[in-house]
This record gives sequence, C-alpha cells and structure tokens, in this order.
Amino acid sequence: MKLKKLLSALMAALCLTAFAGCSGNNAATTEAGGNNTAETDESLNKVLESNKFILGLDATFVPMGYTDENDQIVGFDIDVAQEVCDRLGVELVKQPINWDTKETDLDLGKIDCIWNGLSVSPARAEAMNLSEAYMQNDMIFTVMNDGKYTSSAQLEGKTVAVQNGSTAQEILEGSDIGKKVAVTAIATNVEALQQLELGLVDAVFLDSVVANYLITTTGKNYTILPETVGEQEEYAVGFRKKDCALRDKVQSILSEMKADGKLGEISTKWFGSDITTVK
Amino acid sequence: MTGEEILKVVGILLEYLVPTLKVFGFTLLFSIPLGLVVAMLKMCKFKPISWLTNLYILIMRGTPLMLQIIVVYYAVPYIQIANPDMFSFIDIKDENYMFGAVLVAFVLNYAAYFAEIFRGGIESIPKGQYEAAAALGMTKAQTFFRIILPQVIKRIVPASSNEVITLVKDTSLANVVAYAEITLKAKQQMQNYASLVPLFIAGVFYFAMATILTALFSFIEKKLNYYR
Repeated sequence: MKLKKLLSALMAALCLTAFAGCSGNNAATTEAGGNNTAETDESLNKVLESNKFILGLDATFVPMGYTDENDQIVGFDIDVAQEVCDRLGVELVKQPINWDTKETDLDLGKIDCIWNGLSVSPARAEAMNLSEAYMQNDMIFTVMNDGKYTSSAQLEGKTVAVQNGSTAQEILEGSDIGKKVAVTAIATNVEALQQLELGLVDAVFLDSVVANYLITTTGKNYTILPETVGEQEEYAVGFRKKDCALRDKVQSILSEMKADGKLGEISTKWFGSDITTVK
Repeated sequence: MTGEEILKVVGILLEYLVPTLKVFGFTLLFSIPLGLVVAMLKMCKFKPISWLTNLYILIMRGTPLMLQIIVVYYAVPYIQIANPDMFSFIDIKDENYMFGAVLVAFVLNYAAYFAEIFRGGIESIPKGQYEAAAALGMTKAQTFFRIILPQVIKRIVPASSNEVITLVKDTSLANVVAYAEITLKAKQQMQNYASLVPLFIAGVFYFAMATILTALFSFIEKKLNYYR
C-alpha cells in the first residue's frame, strides 16, 4: 500500500513536470539544447496543414464514443471533439482502433489522439501526453426519486443490482456497504434500472457517467445518492508525448468552450447537466 | 432485442459482408498460386532453398494468424521510422493501407497451408507416370501440366475445401487491427444494444457462407469424379 502511494506520488510529480514542460514550450525559450521547443514541435501545424484531426477510438463506449444503431459514431466525446475541430477549422476524422493497441497507433502516427473516455492512470500519464481531466466518474447508487432513500446507509439489508461482470460489481462486492446489502447481478444496466422501476430491487450500483446518461435518455424518475464508493476515475484525452503544441491548443479550446457554455450545453444533452470538470 | 432492432443489425452486417468477402476472395486469388510456388520451392533439389521454404512454412503454421496480422500491420510504420527510405511509398493513414496489410498477412499464412496440401498431392502421383511420360518424349513442363496437375487437383479438393471454409471464419481475425468487417461491427452493435444478439447474428452469417461453400465443394468433387 505504501509502495503504491509512493508510486502514485512519483507519477503525479512526473506528470506535473511533463505538463510544465508543455506550457514552457509556448514561451520562447532561450535555453540552448531545449530540443522540444515550440519551433520544433510541429504537431499543431501538421494538423492545421493537413486540415484533419484524427481521433482514435474504440467506438464501443456508450455514451462517450460508440457506434449507434445506424452505424454512425456518436457520443459525448465525439460532440466535444467536433466542436473543438470546428473552432480549429479542421475536419474531424473518427478512426476506429483496437483499444489493446491504442498506444502503438498513437505513437506511429496512425491517429492524433485517443479520445474515448480514456481513464487516467499513472502508466498512461507516462506513456502519453494527457490533457487535464475533463470528467470524473464515480461509483454511485441510483434509487427511485421518491424520498425513500436519501443516503447509502439506508440501503443496509436491501437489494442492490449491478451489471454482471462489470467493474461496478467488483467494487461493490469488495466494499463495506457491499457486505451489508444483497447484491443481484443483472445482465445490463438498462435491465437493472427497469427492475428498480418495478420495485424488484431497491437500488442500482453503477458508474455515475453511465447513470447520468441513462437517467437523461430514459427520462425516468431516478436519482443518484450523494455517497460514492471506491476510487474516483478521471477521463482525459491522450496525445503523443512530444505533441505539446497540439495538446495545449486542444486544452485551451476546451477551457474556452467551458467558459462560453458550449461544453455545458453538450454535457446537458448527454447527461442532463454540466458534469464536466474542465477549468 | 426487438425484431426491428435485429433487422437493423442484419442490415449493417450485410453492408460489411463486402469487406469480409474482399479479404476472403483476394486471399484465395493470391495464396493459391503462391502456395503452388512454395510447394515447388520446397521440393527443389537445391537443399538451401528447400530449407528456407521449410522455415517459412514452420513460422506461418507455427504462430497464430492474429499475431501475424498485427506484425504485418505495425511492421511497415516501424520500418519507416527506422529507415525513412524503405516503404516510403506506403501511407499508413491511407484507408487502403489497412486492407493491404491484412491481405498480405492472410496470403502469406494461407500460402503456407496450401503449399503443404499441394506438395502432398504432387508427391502422391506414382513415379512410373513421370517415366512413362518421359518415354513418350514429353518435356518436364508438359508432363507436369498435362499429366500430373489434373490428377493432383482431383486429389487435393477435399483438403482444400477444409482450408477455404476455415478462411471464411478466419476473416474475423482482421478485426484485431480494427478492419471494419462483420465481427468488428457485431462487437460495436453488441455494446450499443448491451446484448449478445449481434454476435449471434454474425455467427449466422459465417454459417451461411460456410454452408454455401460446402455445397459448392461437393458439386466440384462430383464434377471431378470422372474415370470413376
């Protein structure tokens, strides 16, 4: 445990220096030997010249970036990336990749970024040039919005549904609260929510991002309990380690979109409210 | 899933039947002639060539096709980085690059299997036939194309039909580099509907193709059944 903490602290320090390195590139560096200065970082210019921003995605992550019933790639990430590209004045190319080899595809220049609900981890922070986290994902309980339950402590002895084989199931079964409730594993989150509505279960335990999306799209009277369980997950965009100029530009456009409300608008469309964490 | 949703998935998979059949068809087109050449090289009297061919067949049959696809797909960009002059005419961002890389891997793999089938067929012809043809004054090429090959084709049909039907199902391995074919699309729709049904529909597609090929091969076998 101690080692893990030490490691994550080390990684965080590494990230900070990496990011500091990036922002430093925008100012003209007079230091000799700085081999990654703004003049040599052609990443942004390359995208602008080719007029194409190639977004790599797995296209199976509902609702961040997935293939819909008409075989179109849609999702929250796609809407945001489209707006970023519109503001950059380039075309957005959605390139499906195998999620297992995404780092190789990025390094070899097959894609310009990985943008598909990519969760931040120390290993990824080292392998890629990550943007700042744009969304947080928590593991939460969803209940009917009838005032019966207002905190997860009240769920003791009640029945809680999770998606079978999901990380939510692992986290719930390994948590303290998980030992005090009866866990029912159901094939999909959608079915679990249907059972909640029918009163077959008292709560559904799932990812907050997915919960917000399902609550918005189904339009049902569900609500989310305030307590979270387990560790928080953050989503970021992954760029090539050396592509500082491109990463910084996308980051600044995201901040601009947050400031003028466009990001909130896209978030409301998918999740019912602005749940983004961009500054 | 409702009937309407299933029809929608079927529609999408039908559309991606074309890229699946493209891999299937072009692999057969190139791997059969290449397999014949490899079989000849393996039977070459000059031993080093025979040994090299053996090594090639050993590697192709001894490693998973899925890994071979990944190796071919990523070898080109890595070589380009190491040596910018090599393969400089290939653009990895080009939409045809993926198909090209997948096809090369399939052809190299299947040529190795076909080569062994062809060699078995050629070696099954008795030596006496060569001697008889020579006695009649036929050249080596005449002997091979007029006497040996027609008999070989008859003998290798059952073994080849095995390979061809396996190839239909192996095309699904191309999804490992996100080549858009039936399996990849079924996997995407699986997430969209949070259901296993799209994968099952893909299975029906492969089954239908294999059934058609089975019927085709039994027809070919019947046609080739002359002199019996």
